[in-house]
Amino acid sequence: MAALVKLKPLEELFTGRSSVLPGRVVLEFKPDDVRRLFSGLIEALGPDGFFISTLSATDLPEAGRVRLDYFVVLLPEEETVVFRTYLLRDKPVIQSVHDLVPGALPGECEAYDLLGVVFEGNAHLRRGFLAPEDAVELGEYPLRKDSRV
Amino acid sequence: MAKLKLLGLSLRNLLKGPATVEYPREPVPVEPDFRGRHYADLRKCTGCSVCAIECPANAIEIVEVPSGYEVPASNRRRVYPLIDYGKCVFCYKCVAVCPFSAYVVSNEYKLAGPEKPDSGSLSLGTLSRVGGG
Amino acid sequence: MGGRKIVEVPVTLEVPVGPQHPALHEPLLLRVYAEGEEIVRVEVNTGYNHRGIEKLCEGHSFHKSVFVIGRVCGICNTVHTDCYVRALEHLLGVEPRERALFLRVLAMELERIHSHMLANAVLALNVGFENLFMSIMLDRERAMRAKEVLTGSRVMADYIVVGGVRRDLDDSKREKIARLLDALAPRLEFYKRVFEEDETVLKRTVGVGKVSRLDAIRYSLLGPVARASGVAIDARASERYDAYGELNFNVIVNSEGDVWARAMVRWDETLEAVRIARQVLEKLPSDGNPVPDERKLPRKFPAGEAYTRVEAPRGELTYYVVSDGKGPNPYRVKIRTPSFNNIVNSPFMFVGYSLADLPAILASLDPCISCMERVTVIDVEKGARRSIALRDLAGGE
Repeated sequence: MAALVKLKPLEELFTGRSSVLPGRVVLEFKPDDVRRLFSGLIEALGPDGFFISTLSATDLPEAGRVRLDYFVVLLPEEETVVFRTYLLRDKPVIQSVHDLVPGALPGECEAYDLLGVVFEGNAHLRRGFLAPEDAVELGEYPLRKDSRV
Repeated sequence: MAKLKLLGLSLRNLLKGPATVEYPREPVPVEPDFRGRHYADLRKCTGCSVCAIECPANAIEIVEVPSGYEVPASNRRRVYPLIDYGKCVFCYKCVAVCPFSAYVVSNEYKLAGPEKPDSGSLSLGTLSRVGGG
Repeated sequence: MGGRKIVEVPVTLEVPVGPQHPALHEPLLLRVYAEGEEIVRVEVNTGYNHRGIEKLCEGHSFHKSVFVIGRVCGICNTVHTDCYVRALEHLLGVEPRERALFLRVLAMELERIHSHMLANAVLALNVGFENLFMSIMLDRERAMRAKEVLTGSRVMADYIVVGGVRRDLDDSKREKIARLLDALAPRLEFYKRVFEEDETVLKRTVGVGKVSRLDAIRYSLLGPVARASGVAIDARASERYDAYGELNFNVIVNSEGDVWARAMVRWDETLEAVRIARQVLEKLPSDGNPVPDERKLPRKFPAGEAYTRVEAPRGELTYYVVSDGKGPNPYRVKIRTPSFNNIVNSPFMFVGYSLADLPAILASLDPCISCMERVTVIDVEKGARRSIALRDLAGGE
């Protein structure tokens, strides 16, 4: 992963490191640092040095947490790095980065609608973005493990 | 230049007649191994139900063979898989997982009709009748 | 004169839950705010066709989910199954035979051919060139026939499983596919020339919907949309999955960033796909049976996570599969389709262009639309409503 050296200036933000098959590096960070992380990425790599490819939220009810994975592709090598953070399941709140990186918008809207993760500062969040009306009326978040859908 | 050629193409198409296959008056040409209507050959089927378990569309129901048919000894419970072609997506998972390769495949695609199509008559047709049934 | 007339144009695009691209937002609601003819703002409303596939996969076993995944999108079903199956193969540590990998590439490239032809045909239709649309669709039948020879069905391939593919290719079939490609290639060259030279197409597409390279990156645009703006991303070149590591191909990049550039990138990619398919047919290795025995597929999946990327015709498609090792079902399957990024992030592309350019720009994003609904023009001052068919806006009839 030659492109990883580019992330050296941000090393202090990372609290852990693991991997996801096939050989993609996962860097953990604290949820409060999300804006620092992305503004740091813009500074270190330039606004055209990366893009957010996928934003995935996973419900981990046994651990009482919701895991958020930001899959970021570094350009021009086109290598994927995973930035991972954990939110409390009862209050999954994190700051939005869509003003820094507009490409995060769809992922944030989806995570809100399907799992209930609140991205502060994102005015576009709404229920019914993807979930059907009857789920919204029941107040259900479809992808949660205890959801009744 | 291209416009003239396109014009030529249109004129030729006008003279050639429609490209559309006038189905159902004309048959649509399909490949011989197109995934079409399939059914279980009950002379090989043992009623193990793996096909019903594996079907992604839940289109296979295990039902009893009606009386009056001679069922092989390996099929102890006297059951067979009934495929509902309305639900079936023709993925052929059943064909692939059957431990006894009991499925007969074809490239028959004309399945629309006034009655609900299922594989019952085809499957039962593979068995011989017995007694007064 | 009193206030300005603001025209609110809600455009509802409806797509049936059928062999089209339904992974997200169809029908799609674009609320377009226009001053006179010029678009000043667009809002994208989504969520009408959410089928809960990710939740469904958690209820099915890994192997059953392969077929559900294939039905996420009709026109990209091969790439979806390939991505998901490769994630499973990473989890299991299974490596299919070389022959199977080459056959997978063949199926995916044939799909790319017919998908791009459809995309450009729809673009031609939207700029009003119906004759071209019909001609392209006629030639597209050859690509569908080739796919039928290979996989057993024209659209829904159901071709890829864990460990390989479901059918082998014998020599007579190989000949057939080769002949179909030989007949198709000159037609593709012809259509590419039409797009390059025909004035009507050029007038409607050049300079329309321009996206700068920086915007394409910041908004996470993918696929031909990004490549037409100079962003050289292609999952086939970076991941080199399946047999792409052994094939020669180019990543097609344009720099203009307008609708025309996207159409040209698609034509060039189609021609490139024909070249790749021909290479596969020539280099097909014979290292054994590419078809695994589906009765003996491994049931127990070890715990782990896998993230795979694939280059779908519309862009980079990613799958994130989590297995908890406890049961036969996946714990989480996250699918991020390229149109999700392209369409939800698209509103900025329309601003500044006229209403008539809207269908052209939308079609150049290749959102897999099947049928377009009526546009309602609300004259705010008079409070009257008029209905215009989207076709009329496009100047089609």
